[in-house]
Amino acid sequence: MTQFLSLLLNGISLGALYALIALGFVIIFKSSEVVSFTHGSLLLLGAYSIARLSDAIGFLPAVVVGILITALAAFVIERLIINRLRGAAVISLAIVTIGVDIIILTELIRRIGSDILNVPHPWGGESFRIGSVGLSQNRLIAFIVAALLIALFFVAFKYSNWGIAMRASAEDGETAALMGIRQGRVSALAWVVAGVLAAVAALFLVGSPTPGVSPTAYAVALRAFPAAILGGLDSTGGALVGGLLIGIAEAMAAGYQDQLLFLGRGFSAVVPFIVMIAVLMFRPSGLFGTKELTRV
Amino acid sequence: MRLSKRSAGATMLAATFVLAASGCSTKAPESSGGGGAAAGGDVATDVGIEGETINLGVLTDLTGVFAALGNDITNANSLFWENNQVCDTYDVTLDVQDTGYVPQQGVSLYSGMQDNVLAMQQTIGSPINTALAPEYESDQIVNFPSAWSKTLTEIPGTGVVGATYDVEIANGYDYLFREGLLQEGDTVGHIYFEGEYGANGVEGSRAVAEARGLELIEAQIKATDQDMSAQITQFNSAGVDLIALTVAPGQTASVATVAAAQGLDVPILGSNPVFAPGLLEGPAAEWLKTHLYVASPVSSFDAHPELLQQYQEAYPDAVPSLGVVVGFGMSELMKQVLDQACENGDLTREGVLNAFNELEEVDTGGLVVPIRGFEVGQSPSLESFILQPADVPGGATVLEEAFEGEFAADIAG
Repeated sequence: MTQFLSLLLNGISLGALYALIALGFVIIFKSSEVVSFTHGSLLLLGAYSIARLSDAIGFLPAVVVGILITALAAFVIERLIINRLRGAAVISLAIVTIGVDIIILTELIRRIGSDILNVPHPWGGESFRIGSVGLSQNRLIAFIVAALLIALFFVAFKYSNWGIAMRASAEDGETAALMGIRQGRVSALAWVVAGVLAAVAALFLVGSPTPGVSPTAYAVALRAFPAAILGGLDSTGGALVGGLLIGIAEAMAAGYQDQLLFLGRGFSAVVPFIVMIAVLMFRPSGLFGTKELTRV
Repeated sequence: MRLSKRSAGATMLAATFVLAASGCSTKAPESSGGGGAAAGGDVATDVGIEGETINLGVLTDLTGVFAALGNDITNANSLFWENNQVCDTYDVTLDVQDTGYVPQQGVSLYSGMQDNVLAMQQTIGSPINTALAPEYESDQIVNFPSAWSKTLTEIPGTGVVGATYDVEIANGYDYLFREGLLQEGDTVGHIYFEGEYGANGVEGSRAVAEARGLELIEAQIKATDQDMSAQITQFNSAGVDLIALTVAPGQTASVATVAAAQGLDVPILGSNPVFAPGLLEGPAAEWLKTHLYVASPVSSFDAHPELLQQYQEAYPDAVPSLGVVVGFGMSELMKQVLDQACENGDLTREGVLNAFNELEEVDTGGLVVPIRGFEVGQSPSLESFILQPADVPGGATVLEEAFEGEFAADIAG
């Protein structure tokens, strides 16, 4: 039972971080109809900036500057590339983002080398225990911050001008434009928000119990992608549920590896994708995605 | 407005590229030698020797994932050959090329240097060594890889610098048994990478488990898995008495952090690549200093302060890792091969390969474990050092000098 609860807690905390990243995917898709593959490199950029700056200016300022750098990078990508390709096919835009991702990633990997950069989290590697079930403080704080950010996002999405503009653009871009909603601005802001969310997720993903900033941190974003898809690529609520589902499934599959041996070693790595495929087989638009209706 | 936005964007883009370019300018170490005596006229030569200068190839990683290690090993190679000659006559220059840890790049770079090098001082990475194996074999190239997989011993002319991973970790088990840190019938959890490195390491665990009735719980992971919480939770509920690792330093840090958090107070045994000095700056440092035991083919700077001093004088900005000791060790081995070939009067590629095959009971002055000889398909050594992380240069101190554990001979065959 202890093992189960430990794995569950771990899965939920990891899932909350996946949800933050997946939310980024979703709002970019909703606002600019781009399936953005740049998230891996944005995540790594955030983590790298925070780690590098921490020594020079201290932890908290480094976090703020790191988040700003990532948001700025997302903004620049949107303005310089995505905005100029408005109207291009969705698939071309997705491939463009893969290109951008590889460029940023290559440079970051070159800079990180085989080092492990440590982010000096004030809460360090301490852990929090309820009875015999333990969770690292880093993950606990991550869960709280992620929950707050997601709640804040939902409120903003529902009530702020930007939220309304974005929902309108997603619903019907042309009509929204005719109503005076500046889609370029909506899209740019969505990228900035996605950048911020990625950097916040990165801050916690490179803390205990993971080792610090190493090039492999980018792979986390690839696991958040199935989270976004299975939740429904255009559903913000879906991103949250998808993230949690993937986090829990992954932790369970790794923790019960021995019981799942008949499926082969290393099964946990493929679990996110198996869950995604299983969901899509029954609900092709994802759990909460908008069903596409075509009048014939 | 539009123009100014564009120019601001362009400036930013340009700045990014300038930064990127500055990141690329990794300085390739150059090597130069002092003057040598006249070359013996009766030494046969063919490729890679001009007058009194021998040219050796280096295919390393200066910009890829193993850049820090590649830099350390290559710097050590260069430094060694700045101060040494082959049979007091020949200076050695290195043709250093950066593969970025991409096998295809390695193959192309080798074809560029193929006709100019006598042998390969260093080739980093199992995938690149494996990719080049057919060419090395047909060109009769003597080569030293910086990996310890058993498959590399199958390449004729390729000299793994120490014991293979299975023998290495078995020596670690032997140490733990002797120190009373592990008992017969105990339970061991082994986390290992998928692929050759992990498979070879876990083979060592399996052999020891069979010999000593250990219960072995295996957990295979991918190199990109960073969070070891689930695996350690599983080990904790199985009540393991030891955690064995054949992974990279990142996973080691995660294992230590989670084990400490869950109160899983058991020793951790690792193959040599599990440790990097950078781990001692993270939150897992204290736990690692008391719980991690690393079986290693090389000694630490503790035992070779002169090496450290020499290295720091030459490269004052570098933070030396044990890669430096590996680099010096493999250069010393190359020197012994070339000296032997020179003594045999045959510095052709074939002559060098013969000298390499003749080598027996090689001693590198304690840098690398004693090498019994390079036989195809066999671990070149049965011995390992046991290191433990500590606040010393290089990050590790020697707990036990090179020794042959009781399982080594059986595993090595």
